Amino acid sequence: MSQFDVHKGENPRILLFLWLVIASAGVLIIGLAWSQLIATNEFKELEKRQTERRILKPGPRGDIYDRNGNLLVGNRPHYSAAVYLDDLRKEFRKEFVTVRNEADATLLQVFQETPIDERPDKPPIANRSDCAWTARMNVIQRYVDQINQITGRSDTLSQSKVMRHFNEKLLLPLPLAEDLSPDHYARLIEQLHPKNSPIQIHTDTARYYPYGSAASHTIGYVQNVNPDADEIPSDGIKTFTFKKKRGKTGLERSFDESLSGSTGTEMWRVDPLGFQDTRLKMSPPKQGKDLITSIDIDLQIAAETALGERTGAVVAIDVRTGEILTIASHPNYDLNDLSPFIPRTTFNEINERGAWLNRTLQLSYPPGSTFKLITSIAGLRAGIFDTETTHDCQGVYRLGNRIFRCHARYGHRITDLAAAIEGSCNVFYYSEGLNMGIDVISAEAKRFGLDQKTGIEVPYETSRLVVPTKDWKREHIGAGWVPGDTANTAIGQGFLLVTPLQMATVIASIARGETRTIPTLKALSREEGMQVNHGGEPIGLTQKQYQKLWEGMQRVVSPDGTGRLIQIDGLPIAGKTGTADFRAHGKDVNLAWFIGFAPANNPQIAVAVMVEGTKSSDSFHGGSTAGPVAKDVFLKFIDKYPERAGFPTARE
Amino acid sequence: MAKLRLDKLKPLVALGVFLIAWWIMPPVIKSFLKISFTEFQAPSWVVSSYLEDIQGFWARRSHSKIELIEAGRELARKKAYYQYIAQRNESLEAEVDRLESILHMPTRREFRYEVARVVRRDLSAWWQQIIIRKGRDYNIPEGAAVIFSSGVVGRVVEVNAFTSRIELVTSPNFRMAATFETDGRPVIYQGVVQSGFGRATGSVNDAPQDIIANSQAPLKLVSTSLGGTFPPGLTIGTVSWLEPGSTGIFQAGEVTLDERLLSLHEVSVLIPLNPLELNNDVP
Repeated sequence: MSQFDVHKGENPRILLFLWLVIASAGVLIIGLAWSQLIATNEFKELEKRQTERRILKPGPRGDIYDRNGNLLVGNRPHYSAAVYLDDLRKEFRKEFVTVRNEADATLLQVFQETPIDERPDKPPIANRSDCAWTARMNVIQRYVDQINQITGRSDTLSQSKVMRHFNEKLLLPLPLAEDLSPDHYARLIEQLHPKNSPIQIHTDTARYYPYGSAASHTIGYVQNVNPDADEIPSDGIKTFTFKKKRGKTGLERSFDESLSGSTGTEMWRVDPLGFQDTRLKMSPPKQGKDLITSIDIDLQIAAETALGERTGAVVAIDVRTGEILTIASHPNYDLNDLSPFIPRTTFNEINERGAWLNRTLQLSYPPGSTFKLITSIAGLRAGIFDTETTHDCQGVYRLGNRIFRCHARYGHRITDLAAAIEGSCNVFYYSEGLNMGIDVISAEAKRFGLDQKTGIEVPYETSRLVVPTKDWKREHIGAGWVPGDTANTAIGQGFLLVTPLQMATVIASIARGETRTIPTLKALSREEGMQVNHGGEPIGLTQKQYQKLWEGMQRVVSPDGTGRLIQIDGLPIAGKTGTADFRAHGKDVNLAWFIGFAPANNPQIAVAVMVEGTKSSDSFHGGSTAGPVAKDVFLKFIDKYPERAGFPTARE
Repeated sequence: MAKLRLDKLKPLVALGVFLIAWWIMPPVIKSFLKISFTEFQAPSWVVSSYLEDIQGFWARRSHSKIELIEAGRELARKKAYYQYIAQRNESLEAEVDRLESILHMPTRREFRYEVARVVRRDLSAWWQQIIIRKGRDYNIPEGAAVIFSSGVVGRVVEVNAFTSRIELVTSPNFRMAATFETDGRPVIYQGVVQSGFGRATGSVNDAPQDIIANSQAPLKLVSTSLGGTFPPGLTIGTVSWLEPGSTGIFQAGEVTLDERLLSLHEVSVLIPLNPLELNNDVP
């Protein structure tokens, strides 16, 4: 007998297994061919989704300039120290072993000290996940401490932040210390080894405002936000994003789209644990477009300096084009304090001062006597009075049982239109206002657009604009219109509510002899400026009526006018002062107004100033309080644009 | 069948044993061995450098008296000039001190100079180091700035008993805070892998966008005191071009360094008189 089995040819008992093996192999081969030859794209996509990660890095925002090319908003370096968790994996593992051993030893000691009848069968072991997080935190904290030691800061990092980063942004650097000063940045650069230390110094951008608080409400600020879902490609590849800056208020918000830079993309191949392996593709981010505004920063600073610590607003407009030269609201805030983020204490402090509000367009006020120009135009156009009409002002006007007072205690005596404007005679306007009725006054105010937003490129313009009518009072107050309401409206009091920006457009329109001015914060080219159509209509006064109105406005800024303090040698100014009473937040507030333009014979700049004061403010008056602010703006205008102001230049 | 010659594997086995032994050796012993090796090796470098000095001495002895007299005159002229410069610096320094006291400005870090001969150059594409003939014997501290007549040389990275190792400004492992001469904003200077041909170069990063450099008017990159190691105003190199970096806003460019950096004979170590206390002396 042979010691070995000898193959005897086909054995029917194993043939079955042969066919089974062949069939199984066939299935596998077909499956392989299917996945490798036919379903290639599907598996490629799957592989891509599993092994590739995308990092989106938003581009820096564009700069904002004033009309003369002065930088209003730029980007400053924002330094931070960060680590890629991938670089710490070795240390995590090493620390994990130490932490786990210590935890197990502690538990074992507790186990051994427990009486035998109370102890479990086996000694307990430490929770591995907890050990892993403790180890990670220990390692990360060591690097935070190192940074603190070099910079003298006292930063800490919470476990929740690290966990969130670990779960959501593994490929992105974990910031250990943010918003480093240039000193800290320089120290870290020199004290940390560029190759041996995993701490990297990252340079990003933060908004920078060279003029601090100037035009803060108009310029606005940005907020760090996560990109919208539609900005992230939906091809299934996991995408990590850095926060982008989005305009929150002001021009930053209105022009957010053009100011925002284009996002840069990095594609990474990652290992099975999700840590980066190879960079596959990189397209750098690009800076957004610059914005050139119509603001003249020198005029802006002049206006803000003149306003000082007072609460109020100043708007200066280029009469011809509607370009805003100055738009100031006080109290304001230093925009640099809001970059790269708004600290809670800063937010609260600004809030307490009421400085978040943009008083040029977010709050509405009674225009006071500055509205008398509208009343005058309404009366002249409707033929209610003419240039020769006079009234004998005795200081009071009796309407039924009510006595309406003129601010001149003993009256202005015989006053015609020009004298009424010059002296801001209430009696003239009570009388003529009642003659023409509220419908005529309201219609004229609406013709000048006082019931509509101006449409300026700054968000949050108030819609609480009131040009009262009989229907309006019935609807909103629930009472019928009485003659006293008309008298009050005629002098710019009562229910009337307008913004300083609106009054600036009104005086610019009057200066041009039209009814509308569309304000803009975009700098216009010479050609664009020539083609501006404000969309209004001519005021519709006769030459004689114009002359009378002009005479009145110029007499306001004359030695005997209410705006005498605004006079500037060689610059004819036309305008109107106003003082109004107002109740806001339970407090009585006085408002001092001045609206005017210059040069009166060739209007170039229109200015509206509103200053808030309290009842106890001494000598609070449009001419003495708001007027000097406007004067400073006019003086700076002469300084900057002597030709336009009608002053001889060195060239001439 | 050929007989397996196990004896041929002896070197490989020995190497394997050595590597395993090194691998399992406690770090303390490893560190001790490394330091000892350097310390034992150093005297040979020092001796070699002294021999070079003697060689130089005898080479100079061969000059004629006329040449020596001429060189002496030239030296005297230079000395007179430097004395004048030194006097002017002294008066300027006094003026700066006076102004600083009026403005209540914080005092600057003061340094003393320790001039040292270069005994060895370790130059390759990836590391760029020199060894100087002074170490702990002259209280050279680790991290101290090293300069020469034309600016920054590098930083002390290792101090031994009689020698110190300097990481050159050209090395990829060298990084420092810098500023452009006409601008106060800090930028990063870092050495790069050297090609071995042409002039030594480095890189500058995080340069603000409004800084413009071109070959007609290269910008001078200088040290800043912000980092705490170097006094301000020491020349690092010149920047002939800047281009947008990966951040999309800051610029990066190439720094051309002094060609004498790779053939230095003598350098000065700046030893702070009031050493930087990272804990207390915060910026």
